[in-house]
Amino acid sequence: MTSRAAEAVPDRGGANADGKPGRPGDGLGTGLLVLPGVLWLAAFFLLPLGIIAVISLGSVDPGGHVTLADPSLRNYEQALRPEFLPAFGKSLYYSVVTTVLSLGIGYPVAYWISRHGGRHKILLLVLVMLPFWTSYLIRTYAWLIILRDNGVLNAFLMETGLIDRPWVIVDTDLGVIIGMTYGFLPFAILPLFVSIDRLDFSLIQAARDLYASGRGAFLNVTLPLTMPGIVAAVFLTFIPALGDFVTPDLLGGAQTTTIAKIVQIIFTSGRDWPYGAALGFLLMAVTISGTLLALRSLRREVIGTAA
Amino acid sequence: MTRDNRQTGMTFDEALTTKLRLAGWTRRDFLARVAAVGAATALTQLLIACGQGTGSSAPEPTERPTPGTSAAAQATPAITAAPTSPPEPEDELFVYNWAGYIGRQTVDKFEEKYGIKVTYDKFPDESTQISKITSDGRGGGYDVTYPASTWIPRFSVDGVIQKLDHSLIPNLANLEAAWQDPGYDPGNQYSVPYAWWTTGYAWDPRAIDADLTSWGALWDPAYSGRMSMLDDMRECFAAGAFRLGLSPNTTDLAELDQILAHLQEQKPLLRRYTADDIGDMVGGVVDLTHCWSGDWVQMTYDIGRIRYAIPSEGSIKGSDTFVVLSGAQHPIAAHLWIDFNLDAQISSENTNWIGYMGPNEAAREFIDNYIINDPRLNPPPEVLAELIELQFLEQPDLDQYTSRWTTLRAS
Repeated sequence: MTSRAAEAVPDRGGANADGKPGRPGDGLGTGLLVLPGVLWLAAFFLLPLGIIAVISLGSVDPGGHVTLADPSLRNYEQALRPEFLPAFGKSLYYSVVTTVLSLGIGYPVAYWISRHGGRHKILLLVLVMLPFWTSYLIRTYAWLIILRDNGVLNAFLMETGLIDRPWVIVDTDLGVIIGMTYGFLPFAILPLFVSIDRLDFSLIQAARDLYASGRGAFLNVTLPLTMPGIVAAVFLTFIPALGDFVTPDLLGGAQTTTIAKIVQIIFTSGRDWPYGAALGFLLMAVTISGTLLALRSLRREVIGTAA
Repeated sequence: MTRDNRQTGMTFDEALTTKLRLAGWTRRDFLARVAAVGAATALTQLLIACGQGTGSSAPEPTERPTPGTSAAAQATPAITAAPTSPPEPEDELFVYNWAGYIGRQTVDKFEEKYGIKVTYDKFPDESTQISKITSDGRGGGYDVTYPASTWIPRFSVDGVIQKLDHSLIPNLANLEAAWQDPGYDPGNQYSVPYAWWTTGYAWDPRAIDADLTSWGALWDPAYSGRMSMLDDMRECFAAGAFRLGLSPNTTDLAELDQILAHLQEQKPLLRRYTADDIGDMVGGVVDLTHCWSGDWVQMTYDIGRIRYAIPSEGSIKGSDTFVVLSGAQHPIAAHLWIDFNLDAQISSENTNWIGYMGPNEAAREFIDNYIINDPRLNPPPEVLAELIELQFLEQPDLDQYTSRWTTLRAS
């Protein structure tokens, strides 16, 4: 459904422009339709990115001002300090765990909504999205109230006698992971829902008719056919999680510093924008190349099933 | 001064809500916003750098227009008509201050008195403030901010702040004589002193029943997991330096390495590097926290028993100022704001709420006795003489601090 609807748009655009239906991606109308998106990306993505790239080659003069007088790759050499590895490791650890948990929780939820949501499907999806109507910061603070030493959860556990001293969750890895999984779960559910909902259920029935077990049908039919959704969910969760700064800063403590926090320290306490930009750019390069590599190895499978 | 929530016995949620309102969530909110606007400020910075040509440090006009003349140039024609009458203030004002660093009704009272709409933004830590107002070299869109006094020489040379028009601040006369001509800004040409602080630590005697006096408490394994340090590079290095008997302004690399090693020893014992020391203590997250004097006063509004000490090895003192930023779009209103806050009554309301003593002689009679009489909040000269001000670090020295601080935090 979704893909056909998307293809229908350029068709209509082509028809309006030259009076006869055109192929998707064909004609002036399509170009005009794409233009705002391209301009948006250029102005708010490529331009800032370019600026960061340029600044990262500069340095800070003795007066504390950014200068491009003697452009070099010094900042990048400096950014590769082995001292930063533990923080990078933390970021990686949090984003991997967050991604796995988001998939593990998101897949059954998306599957259930798609298969059993019935006429409430849209309502259920809206419920998944509903938290976005509140600031992420406020929601993270809500978690703080729930998870704190004298928060709601600990009060409940101690009241019921399950524990007799507070379970320390905030300021630990667990606190960060709970917060991040909560934050990124909707980004996993939505693409998973789209691909599960698009799945032709009769294929599973066919598999069962051919004596596949429930598990076998899932592993051999459902899972491969929903792989595009899984891949999208992984990227939509993993990449932003890698750069997340707010959650580890709020729900994390002295021992949970991520690489994003290091970038922030260099920009603010260190007042060294070029160095911070280089470290940020390096992280982005790592993320993008990782994504491209993963996409390449998955491409056949993804495109093969998506087309 | 209403301090209706001063007593203990609040529920956690009440206390947290108070704290979020008072300081906490606005600080964090700001952090998030900084992350969001980072790209935008980067853009501005680059455009400025390009516009000025690369290589040179951002050139600044040596003489900025005084607020009076700039207002005459851009504001209503009525001003030019009668040069002797006070200029008409603008109808808006953008103020940028620490969270929890002003009387509770000051903004409302100012708006009421002058009919000026105040946009009052807060920052959680100094480094955020500095990066924001120096992002375009002219104040990042704000009219008034509250930098530490050590920044004034740098900001005046760099043209981040503008010369004040003393004719618009008659309440300057309320300042103590010693603060009419401070060393960092002779004659208060660019800044007006606002409040001062000491650095120390606060603890909850119910959890830690001891008369703590030494910085060593923050290194005591007995309190492991129940302590936080300020998320402030300079203050953390200062704490380490005092404990080792070094200067908090040291730029000696071997000494800095020594301090780093000492802070690395401390890190596993810490629960947090905090930007919300008040919330942490009041919310029961920690029992002992590195903090500033007035923050302790604000903690006692919720939990009266909390104690505070300036460690015996020595500590930091400092003062904050008001400045009018050079890019201010509302310079007259900005001067009015400073003048209004120097009013004896308003100044005492600020101090009585935030717990930070100010240099306002006229306000003293309205300031609560417990602040006036507490040597930790209002240090007598002999105590002040022992405390040290953090000096401004030039970039190469700052880089040495940053590289060690990031090593510590990333480990």
